[in-house]
Amino acid sequence: MQTTTRVTVPIVLVVAISLFLQGHNLPGGGFIGGVLTAAAFVLIYVAYDLDYLESGVLGREIEPGTSVFEHRTVTAYRRTLLAGLVIVLGSGVAGILVGDPFLTQGYVHLEGIPVYHEVELASALLFDLGVYLVVVGSLLTIVSVVSGE
Amino acid sequence: MSLLVIAPLLVAVTTAVLTLALGRRPGIQRATSVVGVLGYVGTVSAAVWTLVLGPAAPGAAVYQVGGWPAPFGITLVLDGLSAFMLTIAAGVGIASILFSIRYVTPENQRVYYHPLFHMLLVGVTGAFLTGDLFNLFVWFEVMLIASYVFVAFYGTDRATAASFRYLVMNVFGSALMLIAVGGLYATTGTLNMADMARRLAAPDAYGIDPAPVVGLSALLLAVFALKAGLVPFQFWVPGAYTAAPTPITAMFAGVTKKVGMYAIVRLYFTVFAAAAVPVDLFGMTAASPLAFLAPVLGAMGAASIVVGGFGAVGQDRLEGVFAYSSVGQVGFIAVPVAIAAAADPAGTLRGAAVAAALVFALHHALAKGLLFLSVGAIEDATDTDRLRELGGLADRSPVLSGAVFVGLLSLMGLPPLAGFFGKLLAFDAAVRGLASDPGVAPALALVALLLGAVLTILYATRVWIVGFWGRETPAVEAASVDSGQVAVLVALAAAVVLVGVGFDPVYRFAETAATAALDGEAYVEVVGLEGGDGA
Amino acid sequence: MSVALAIAVGGLFAVGTFLLLQRDLIRVVLGVAVVSQATFVYLIAMGGIDEGARDLVPVLDTHGGGVPEIADPVVQALVLTAIVISFGTTALALVLSYRAYEENETMDVTEWAR
Repeated sequence: MQTTTRVTVPIVLVVAISLFLQGHNLPGGGFIGGVLTAAAFVLIYVAYDLDYLESGVLGREIEPGTSVFEHRTVTAYRRTLLAGLVIVLGSGVAGILVGDPFLTQGYVHLEGIPVYHEVELASALLFDLGVYLVVVGSLLTIVSVVSGE
Repeated sequence: MSLLVIAPLLVAVTTAVLTLALGRRPGIQRATSVVGVLGYVGTVSAAVWTLVLGPAAPGAAVYQVGGWPAPFGITLVLDGLSAFMLTIAAGVGIASILFSIRYVTPENQRVYYHPLFHMLLVGVTGAFLTGDLFNLFVWFEVMLIASYVFVAFYGTDRATAASFRYLVMNVFGSALMLIAVGGLYATTGTLNMADMARRLAAPDAYGIDPAPVVGLSALLLAVFALKAGLVPFQFWVPGAYTAAPTPITAMFAGVTKKVGMYAIVRLYFTVFAAAAVPVDLFGMTAASPLAFLAPVLGAMGAASIVVGGFGAVGQDRLEGVFAYSSVGQVGFIAVPVAIAAAADPAGTLRGAAVAAALVFALHHALAKGLLFLSVGAIEDATDTDRLRELGGLADRSPVLSGAVFVGLLSLMGLPPLAGFFGKLLAFDAAVRGLASDPGVAPALALVALLLGAVLTILYATRVWIVGFWGRETPAVEAASVDSGQVAVLVALAAAVVLVGVGFDPVYRFAETAATAALDGEAYVEVVGLEGGDGA
Repeated sequence: MSVALAIAVGGLFAVGTFLLLQRDLIRVVLGVAVVSQATFVYLIAMGGIDEGARDLVPVLDTHGGGVPEIADPVVQALVLTAIVISFGTTALALVLSYRAYEENETMDVTEWAR
């Protein structure tokens, strides 16, 4: 189980990110990318345990005796959720500031970038990033709090 | 296109996010929350005044989210009806949040109370503003998810059980709504309400066969009746209302329920009224789905009045009395709507009956908000809301009792309070309905209204005599009433009196709203559909 | 194809309703999920599905090729939104049922507090 996890988690994460990036023209996007990312984390939880991310990956000490709500990883997830919400809202409101309706999206073509030559940067990507963060943050908060019960 | 249309929604969303971010600083969080609701009230009144009521107002305005033109994108529409409902939401919202600050313990307020409150407000606002059927479903869900959490808020066995029942029922309701929405999309080829109204009015021109609309609209009626708590679907009301914190119960009774009634009025009168769908069912023959709305909604409303009235008389907890009373009062809103549906489209009765329903909705939101909040104040002071453990409250706290007295009188319908005009107009509509079409059904509606009025007087006087007169019970003697809570109650009571005394502008507002609700063509015009002609 | 979908929708609704009416808590939650799934299948069917190739479903036809012409993107968007909503609701239902089970100390919903 732990061996499989070591192999699959990076793959799942890469697929999640690629789904997220191709989101605005092709199937994929923030939600599905977020769900996949969260699934990768859940896999780690199942194979190791709730504290593994903090002690094993980041090498920090676990503070004993705190409730799951004050757990440092859970706080981080909550911050992720919040950051996502702010980005979603901000990307929507930004349109208003320049005189367009709420949620108006635009895009620019950037050329001459190494490797890619041409990149299309859409403001929808920012919105999607917000959705992605909201999904990852909320799912992992739910999973860790419920499994901590 | 005006930013003001979407402004209340944006203010509520922003406040929800801000209060979530400020969870670690309770003082600032509460301040933000109140400022947010004040901002909400401000934007709603600005929007209502500049777009609907003011001298230079166009009467209605539209906002195309993301700049997508009407039938393709999501459209937000602020017309008279939406404006009226938003005003109710803003009024109840400000009272409820101010009361919450003094009522809900700081630990309970700390993390999720304020963000959820604003999400509830977001859902309600979105539902009132949206001009898109599927979007209406989404706002319903936003509102409901916040409600589930609020019902389970105290985490006791009863609260969690009530919340779970509420959730299961509403998920099933949402499934039915999705079916109706999907079916309507397959039938008419659009989800935009204005576009749907236009296509249904001329099915041949768009090459659609509108026959399924009859059944699908019946499904929608069932879903909205479930949200409004009308009679065959009333059973979730007492459990959920008694479990939620009382300021939220005030929101549920005052605003969330009205969303169901609003959706019925909006969809039937604005969208389906002009539908050229011949109905030939159970011996009824009529030209539009409105025809069968009348008997069905009328029966539901009449049954609600009776069930709610008798239920309220038999309750031994204050919160239970008012929860059942809510069921009955929604019946008083539904019956005029049914009368309007039965009325001749060309006559004045239809508009008058819808206006009556709206005035009653306003009265009920204010009076019931006041009463639920006062239950909270009483519970806070005496640790009980059981009628037999109360008594002599009138001596103990005259100001609180005075506010409750105003609320009860308004519920009974005494002049010059808001409730008097609500009842007067409802009866007026019923009598005119009977006069224009002397038959069994309008007569029964009138009888139900009368019975409901008598039952209201019965339980209102019972609450007053048992709870407020007589000798002080031990619980009441030990009571200390929070003056901040009472201040909110007094303000609401003053609002009830003011709406009654200065009724003329209120009625004109309601009439504007009713006209907007009935004028499907104007609605289509405001939305300003682009293209989409011919399927 | 429509007939198959109709049967699927009918079957899912039957199973979902049956589960909803059970006394066992977990079955009720599952019923909630199944009923939601039934409506999604129904919604997709409402977009009008003809028998045919993979490119009827945009999800299966991604890299390179043009956007398929036949499938109705509106219902797909609706279903996506509805799935997200029902996903949230089901998560809430699961957490809530766990809490309610803890508070009421029984899995039998009929024995819960009124």
